[in-house]
Parts: sequence; C-alpha cells; structure tokens
Amino acid sequence: MPPPRTREERDHRDRHHHRAPREEEAAEKWDWNCPETRRLLEDVFFRDEDYIRRGSEECQKFWAFFERLQRFQHLKAPRKEEKDPGHPKRGIPALADLPRAYDARYRINLSILGPDPRSCQGPGRRLPPERVSEFRRALLHYLDFAQKQAFGRLAKLQRERAALPIAQYGNRILQTLKEHQVVVVAGDTGCGKSTQVPQYLLAAGFSHVACTQPRRIACISLAKRVGFESLSQYGSQVGYQIRFESTRSAATKIVFLTVGLLLRQIQREPTLPQYQVLIVDEVHERHLHNDFLLGILRRLLPGRPDLKVILMSATINISLFSSYFSHAPVVQVPGRLFPITVVYQPQEAEQTTSKSEKLDPRPFLRVLEAIDNKYPPEERGDLLVFLSGMAEISTVLDAAQAYASLTQRWVVLPLHSALSVADQDKVFDVAPAGVRKCILSTNIAETSVTIDGIRFVVDSGKVKEMSYDPQAKLQRLQEFWISQASAEQRKGRAGRTGPGVCYRLYAESDYDAFAPYPVPEIRRVALDALVLQMKSMSVGDPRTFPFIEPPPPASLETAILYLRDQGALDSSEALTPIGSLLAQLPVDVVIGKMLILGSMFSLAEPVLTIAAALSVQSPFTRSAQSNLDCATARRPLESDQGDPFTLFNVFNAWVQVKSERNKNSRKWCRRRGVEEHRLYEMANLRRQFKELLEDHGLLSGAQAEAPRDSYSRLQQRRERRALHQLKRQHEEGAGRRRKVLRLQEDVGSSDEDHEGPASQRADSVDIQDVKFKLRHNLEQLQAAASSAQDLTRDQLTLLKLVLGRGLYPQLAVPDAFNSGRKDTDQIFHTQAKQGTVLHPTCVFANSPEVLHTQGQEASGREGSQDAKDQMSCRHQLLAFVSLLETNKPYLVNCVCIPALQSLLLFSRSIDTNGDCSRLVADGWLELQLVDSESAVRLLATALQLRARWESALDRQLAQQAQRQRLGQEEEAESPAVSPREMATLSRELLQFMAAKVPYSLRRLTGLEAQNLYVGPQTITTAPSLPGLFGNSTLSPHPTKGGYAVSDFLTYNCLTSDTDLYSECLRSFWTCPHCGLHMPFTPLERIAHENTCPEAPREDPGSEEAASAAPQKASALQRPYHCQLCGEDFLFTPTEVLRHRRQHV
Amino acid sequence: MASEAEPHPLGMFECQLCALTAPYSYVGQKPPDTHAVVLLEESYIMKDPFSSDKARFLVLGARCSVCGKLVCVGPDCSLFYSKRVCLPCVQENISAFPQEIQQDVEKRKGASKRPSSHP
Ligand SMILES: [Zn+2]
Ligand SMILES: [Zn+2]
Repeated sequence: MPPPRTREERDHRDRHHHRAPREEEAAEKWDWNCPETRRLLEDVFFRDEDYIRRGSEECQKFWAFFERLQRFQHLKAPRKEEKDPGHPKRGIPALADLPRAYDARYRINLSILGPDPRSCQGPGRRLPPERVSEFRRALLHYLDFAQKQAFGRLAKLQRERAALPIAQYGNRILQTLKEHQVVVVAGDTGCGKSTQVPQYLLAAGFSHVACTQPRRIACISLAKRVGFESLSQYGSQVGYQIRFESTRSAATKIVFLTVGLLLRQIQREPTLPQYQVLIVDEVHERHLHNDFLLGILRRLLPGRPDLKVILMSATINISLFSSYFSHAPVVQVPGRLFPITVVYQPQEAEQTTSKSEKLDPRPFLRVLEAIDNKYPPEERGDLLVFLSGMAEISTVLDAAQAYASLTQRWVVLPLHSALSVADQDKVFDVAPAGVRKCILSTNIAETSVTIDGIRFVVDSGKVKEMSYDPQAKLQRLQEFWISQASAEQRKGRAGRTGPGVCYRLYAESDYDAFAPYPVPEIRRVALDALVLQMKSMSVGDPRTFPFIEPPPPASLETAILYLRDQGALDSSEALTPIGSLLAQLPVDVVIGKMLILGSMFSLAEPVLTIAAALSVQSPFTRSAQSNLDCATARRPLESDQGDPFTLFNVFNAWVQVKSERNKNSRKWCRRRGVEEHRLYEMANLRRQFKELLEDHGLLSGAQAEAPRDSYSRLQQRRERRALHQLKRQHEEGAGRRRKVLRLQEDVGSSDEDHEGPASQRADSVDIQDVKFKLRHNLEQLQAAASSAQDLTRDQLTLLKLVLGRGLYPQLAVPDAFNSGRKDTDQIFHTQAKQGTVLHPTCVFANSPEVLHTQGQEASGREGSQDAKDQMSCRHQLLAFVSLLETNKPYLVNCVCIPALQSLLLFSRSIDTNGDCSRLVADGWLELQLVDSESAVRLLATALQLRARWESALDRQLAQQAQRQRLGQEEEAESPAVSPREMATLSRELLQFMAAKVPYSLRRLTGLEAQNLYVGPQTITTAPSLPGLFGNSTLSPHPTKGGYAVSDFLTYNCLTSDTDLYSECLRSFWTCPHCGLHMPFTPLERIAHENTCPEAPREDPGSEEAASAAPQKASALQRPYHCQLCGEDFLFTPTEVLRHRRQHV
Repeated sequence: MASEAEPHPLGMFECQLCALTAPYSYVGQKPPDTHAVVLLEESYIMKDPFSSDKARFLVLGARCSVCGKLVCVGPDCSLFYSKRVCLPCVQENISAFPQEIQQDVEKRKGASKRPSSHP
C-alpha cells in the first residue's frame, strides 16, 4: 500500500501541534507518530488480554519495528505493485493450492485475532479502517519477526552448546557416573564444564542435583546461565541458594549453592538425603570449606552408596583428588584455547636500582608501547594486566593513564574487589573503535571474573595473599610469587577468543622455580571458624580429621586455644552452649558473642545493626577519603565512640533516607562516599541475624504488626504490587546492557564523573532499591533506626560494654607519648604486637585527641611525673575488630572503652599487690590507683557483677540449649533470666562504669612481665583477709603466689617493694554498724565492713548473697582470749565486743 | 494448579533435518495462554524461553506438507508459504513457487554453503 504522497509535507506542518485525529480529519491528516494516535491503537490492540500489552517493553519494541517497517515500505512500495505472477508451473497436488500472486503475508504462519475495530465501541471507532488494517499487517510482521528472532536465539544457543569442547564428553561422563560413585571431570576454563555437566544430568533424568560453588556470585550467574541454556530461564527447574536469597522451589531439579550452605545442610541432615547427585565445582581452588567438604564426603559416601559425586577441577593436580577418593576415574576435557605466544621480559636491572617499596610502572608501559607499535589499532584485542594488589594497580593506573592521554589509544580500567560495583562493571563495557581496554587487575580476573575480548596478558608474577601468623593471631597481606598453575591460568586468559600474547615480567628460570600449585587456603588462614564448625558437626578431633592435605598442626592448636579462650570450647575441647550457638551464626566468633550479649541487655536492635556492619566490607569508598566534600558530608555521621558507631549512624541515616518518598538513596550514598551495595548487604545480614536470634529464643519473635486501617493496608498492598511489577520489568529488560566506554574514563576519582550518567539514570528504576523494599520490612527497619537516635547515654554505655566484652581480648592501649605526637603518628600496643597504627578509615585517625587524657583534667601528681604515669579517671582502651598487616599493622574498626572498668570486667586474669593499689590485667597492662580503698571496692563490685552476668548468660544459654533439644514448639514456661534481674544488673553495671577513680595505665615491659609474681610461698607473709572481696574464700595460688580469690582474681601476688610498709599503717576506726573500734589497715577495714553482720544487706537481686552471709560470717571467727574472765572463745569481732560489754 | 511452574513438556521436538531439539508443551493451532493469536498450521510450540511473560510462545516447527517430515522453522530447514514445506521438498518442486520464493531459496543455498564463520 503506497503511503500518502503528501505525508512529508504534512509532517512538517504538524510537527508543533499533534492532536488527536478527529473522525472527519483522520482520513487526510493521518500521522503514525502522533502520540494520541498511538495511544488509540494501543487501546484497541494492546489490551491486557492481548499478546502485546501497552506500556510493556514489547510494546516499545513494536513501535521501533513499526518505524523501520514504514521506512522500508516507503522505499519499496511504489514498484511492482501488480506484478504478474508468471504462471508458476503446477507441481504435485500437495502444492497445487499455493497462492499464485506473491504476497509477503503468505509467508507468515500466524494470524491475529484482535478486536474488529468496526464492531467495537469507544476509542476504536475513531480509527479509519484502512489504517487499522495497515496497523494489523505491521503487527503481523512484527510477530513473525519476533518468532524468527527467538527461534534464531534458540538455534544459536544449541549450536554454541554443541561446539563446546565438553559436548563430546557428555555421554562419557554420564556413563562413568553410572559405573562409579565418584567421577573427576577435569577441564580448563572455557571447556564448559560448569554450565554443561548440570544440563547433561538434567537431560539424563536426574532431578535432585546440587552443584556447589566457592562464590555466591557464581551461584547466581550459573543458575541464570543454565536456566537460560536449558530453556527454563523463567521456570523453576534451575535455582540457586545463597546466604540471603533462594530461588529454590518444589519444582527445582538442580540447585547451585555455596559450599558453606551445603555444609550447613549436612550439619542438619548428615546423610544429605535430599540429593541424588552432588557436583563439587572448582575443587582445584582448594578453598578451606571445599577441602573440608571433600573430607566429609569421603566419610559419608560408604553410607550413601546411591549418592553420586562429580568433582570438577581445572587440570591442576588431578591425581590428588582422584586418589583421595580411592582412584576415582577422571574424564579429562581439553580446553578450547587458541595458541598463545609467551614473551619473557624479566626486569632485573631496574628492580635492583630502585629498592623503594613502590612498584616501577615502566615495564608495564613498555608493553603498551610494544602493542601500539606492533599491532594496528583496527585489529581489536584488549589487554589484561595482573598485578599483586591495589597499591600496585593505582601506581600503574596513574602511569598508564598518562600514556593513554598522549596516545588516545587506550582506556585504562582498574579491577579489584574493593571497587564499587559500578566501577567493576566497567571492565565489561566496550572500548570505542581504534581504542583498546587496558584492565589492571588483581588475581580476581584469574578465575572469578571472565572478560571477553582479551588478546594480551601481562603477568607481573606476583600475588598478595592473606597469610596467617598463628602466634600473633595476625592476618598479613603479603606479596608472593605466584605458582606455575596460576601463571598458566593468567596466560590462558589471552587465548579465549583468538590467538594471544602473554608477556611475563619475569624470567623463564623464575617460572621454573615457582611452586607447581598455589598454597591451599587451609595452610594460610586462621582455622577458628573451621574448628568450630567441625566441633558442631561432631566429626571428631580436628587433629585426626582426614583432610585431603592436613592443616599445619600449629594453626589447629591456636584455633582450639582461641575457642577455649573465647568460651566456645570447654577444657575438654567439647562445645559449650555458647559455642554451639556461635557455630550456628555464620559470623566471626567475636561478633556472634556480641549478638548474644546484646540480646540479653535488650539492645538487640542496635547490636544487630552493628554486628551486621562489622561483618561486611567497609562501605566507605577509597576515593572519598581524599575528597573534601565527601568528608564534610560524612562528618555528622561520625561518632567519637568509634567506628562501629559511625557505621551504625550511616546505616540508620540511610534507612531513614530509604523510607522517605522521593529521596534518592543512591545519590545520598554517593555524596558521602558510601558504597550503597555494602549497606544492602548489611540490611540482608541484619535480617539474617535477627532470624537466627529469634530461632534460638534469644529474641522474641516478630512483633505482631500494629493493626492498620483498611485504607493503609490497601495502600501497602498496592505499593508492593507496584514494586513487584518494577522488578519484573527490570528482569524483562535483561538488566544491564554494555556501554561504549569514553576515551578518558576517570576511574578512581569517581565523584563528578559519576554524576553525569547517574543523574540521567536517576529517573530509571533503581532495581536494588526495589529488591530491598520487597525483601525488608522498611517500617520495622525505620522504627529500629529512629529508636537508635533516642539511645540514652546509659544504653550507649551498655552497648559499648557489650561490644567490648564481645571484642575482648582484642584490645590495644594508646602509647604513653601519643599526645605529643602528630595525628598520623599515633601508635597503639596490643598484647602480642607493639606499635600498631589506626587504619586510615578509623574515626580516631582523624581525631586522636579523643583518646588523650592529657588536657582533659589536671594531672593528679606532682609536675615532674612524665606523661606515662599520668593519673586520670578517663584512660581509654581501643577494642578492635581485626588487626590487619599490610605495609603496617593496622587496627581496623575500633571502639574506645574506659580502661579500668573494662579490664576489671573482662580480663581473664587480674593480679594485685597487697593493698590493691597496683593491678595487672592479663599480664600486660598495669594500673596504679591512688586510693587503695576504692580499688578494693571496685574489685569487689567487679567480682560480684561478673558472677551475676556469667550466671545470667549461662542460664540463658542452658535454656536455649534445652529448647533446641525439646523442639521449638515448647515455648519456655518462663524466661531463664527475668527482665527485672537484667534491669538490676544493667543498673549496677552502669554505676560501676560511672565510678571516677584516678589511675595510671601502661603496658608492662617484657622484663617486667617476666618478673611479675612473687611465686608460691612456703610461709605466707601477707595476711589473709577474709571477706575482703565479699564472700569469696581465699586460697593460696599455686604458681603466682598470693591468694586466688576467684578464677580470674589473684590477690597480693605481685612483686613489689612498697606493700610491706602498708601493713603497718593502721589507724583507729569505728564501724558505724556494729560499733567496733580498733586500729585497721584500709584493707582490714573493708574486710570488716563487708562481713559486719550488723551492716544492712542491700544487695539487690542476689538473694544467694544475702542468705549466704550468716554462714560466711563464721569465717571471721578467730580465737579470742578474754583477759577479764580468762576464757578462750572462737569469736567474730562483733562477738568480741558483745562479750566485752558483759564485763562492763 | 500446582504452582507457577512451567507447563509440563509433552515431549522433545527434534527436527528431522538439522537435529535441533527442544521440549515442546503444545501441538496445534491455538497456543495456550493467549487468545489473541492463531497459527495457520499444526505447530509444535514451547513457551518462549526468552520471555518472562508466560503467554508468549515460540513455534519450533511443523510437519512438511509434502513429505510429512517433522522440521524446524529455521531458514535452513523449511519455509512457510501458506503452508510448511521442508527445504528439500521446496527444491524438488521449486517451479511451483513464485519467483520471490525461488530467489529467496537461491540466496539461502548460497548462505548455507559458506563455511560457518568462526565465532
Ligand atoms: Zn531443522
Ligand atoms: Zn518435505
């Protein structure tokens, strides 16, 4: 049908006032581009019950197609309208009725049933029939086009699958699996094993398949890919399960899950009855949990002969895995690699001249130059550079960007795990024509991230890995040479899409000297969590567990000792109640403890947030550190209590922003240099912690939602529906599309440069936001966040107490001379490590004066005293979450806590001198108190508070353990610890914390620490003072000397030259309660006061103490010889008085 | 209705020419879950695997109306011109088709003869 001749002219005329065509006008003034016209057509053809729905993405695609079709027909239409069919010859009868006159319409195998515009009322009536049929015909062509497109994708998918190297091995794998219980499938990256083997199993009829992955991200992407390839992308046959998310349903036949999650399933059901086949992928990576899983499986398999196991590995050390499972058969699949030329470019000379720590970027630039000289720009192919760490990346980044701005032939991009997600994604974008990408990456690109189009690889030969020093309990980030296996992996990245070149910046002889394989994780990291998990899975003594390669015995011993120290294991290495609870919390032991303690003090909400915040990577972006605007915007959120509180404030403020309509949280985060992704992770983790605490009865279950009126209920339902729809639309849009990179990508200084594209995106859907709002109850979160603003000073103090007790013994003491040092030179000492510094992200790094005692109050002693002996009641310790050694040992995530009280409450050992004016905590921190009387009082209170706190915790955990045994349905008849008891304990703890006692604080020198104790005494010189510390009975300490008062307190065991005199300092004193008048040393006086039977008992909440008092009093009885009546008695001092009165 | 699970596959469709296989969930002219479209031949249909909309379908193939072979709708295996005809049958009866189709078939032969280009 020829278009109206005059269309163009009319187009020009009408451009400025599109109107709905009225019936009489419609015939002549027809414009397909008029929005009103389109709306009318959509009303008629794209209704909800139609194949295409208005407003959908499909609808947009149709109009785009329509415009193309219009243009095409306009070009083509005038010629051969009435062409003679040319009398096709009659053939066989089956083809006799083929239409003679050709029409493209006959090539379409479908027909639209849509409404007849003539018969329909309303909008359709206003459309001229010939336009409607024109539209209908276009729609038909569109549907045909869409069918062809989808079928094309299907066919392409199948061609690609068939072309994978592994495709020829599918049957062999299935056959071998039929005959053996364990099969090793070995093939290099790109052979397709991770995506295809699960599908072969599906096709062979297996329906209970689990496939483990070391990384969460791989679970999601593989489930998506396999779902797509097996054509159940939007079905439920293929699912994944990771820490916070699950797409698993009853219909799921294959599930991708993390190793950690599978281990938890084994913990619940040790024989894994829910699976037929288990695929363990990437076993060669030798992750801690993977190695452990292999051990578990080896034990489990004899008891589950029907369970099949496929181990998938790169072609690295295959015989190790095969022989571990009694020589399991190996199916080896060749990788699909194009030839790669290796160029060795060792850099001896320069390396030795500049012995500075900084990496020399010149060898890397030389490779860029060489590529520019040798390969014409139109030959595409990007460069991937492997560097050891982030510092090295930024050094080379600077140099390479300078080079790139000269040549205009490179876009330089960093890639490491600390980058924001958006910046990470840039490496997948395409460079403009004639320009190459140069990606500077850590070993993350070795196996985890696959980037297409890489033709050149530069391998520095170095990697930075965490190594663990069990002695110092210290994680160290150290640079190592890589292994040969890693070098081959890196090289292989150049040959995935075509022949490639790998430049090795080391000599071939270096390569030969590399270790064949990387050091497995089990030999590098702290084993606390592993041991805890092993204990809770009752796999026996970790020392004898049949690991594929055993961990170093020292690491195991350190871990066991640490868990004993933390109270997770008892002295026989059995799991304690708190230990079994900790084993179920997927967090660091320290953070688990915080959660448990916090919920006891009704501080669950804030502790949940803080625990979550401390369990994810820091949300503060690196670039923002140097950015003044970010720093200023962030300042109001900073807390001088410490980093956990800053994170707490950030999260709460973010939740507030989220809950306000029309506020863009993404923008809010960017302005403050906060990586929003981490906040989403926090929210997820927080929710998981909350559920765990509820499951374990430590937190009363979800409060019943406040009753709402029907309007707001309706409103809420409507909102959720809208969110679901947004999510669906986003999924239809298939997420992110590749963009073309700009030549000058300003990565690293991502502030302004982000503003551009982001603000364009601002009105588009923030899918993270949508998911967040669907997953979380924002109202509840907001309530928690706003109640956080109302935390009282008391609650804050308790919160710090909880954090401190959780973090103990991870404490650091400020160096005595810090107040005279520059901000950047502040140093701190831990028990094991001297001279640590604050991490640059730490709040105190910018305002260390918060930690100084000087200047805050007048020094208590004569002027000549140096700073280290300064008397103050405000000494602070830093409790820290981790100690990280890179170029310096850094304290990460610090809270400041009052030193004296915290040490008295937490320390595992406190030793005193004779008058308790000198205390040593855990053998390394010395406290000198001016006033021995208040020292003794504090000690006595600490003893009592600790006992009550411990008892409450034990009862709580015991009850929880019992509930677990009996099953959840038995609701506890009454709480093990009454709220009143906790309230009293809290109050007294607060009183204790508020005590103002001047003291000095210092770290003992090594020599002092060695000669701390008087040692066991044959004749005890110091008097035993019954009742000095309340009701405790004293017994001589076997090694330190002095008297053991409790499991942590040893009285009078410190060597000293001053206490001897204090014995003689007696003065007369009259007891206000019983009237006893005698010469007393201060300590004797306290001892009397504590035991005076006449003294009013006001010990609230501890009836035991009160009831125990009368019997205990007998300990005060001493032989008394009355000189008036000449008789001998066993009297307490009061009884002596009473007796004497008789004689008056 | 058990769940939102996909329609149960009736069987595997396999093209007798190119061996393309895919599970189909319906055979006929009225695709399920939509009333807006009818098919002009007895087709083997699956739910469009590339769309989250469950009303969207994908025609995999149909029987050749000359030889009765089950063939896919791919351009190398069959064409539709008011009825489905497999490419071998088209070639055998090429003169029965209008010139446009003849030219088109010539083009396809040329295209498929070229060695499949490297990815
Ligand atoms: Zn075919
Ligand atoms: Zn045929």
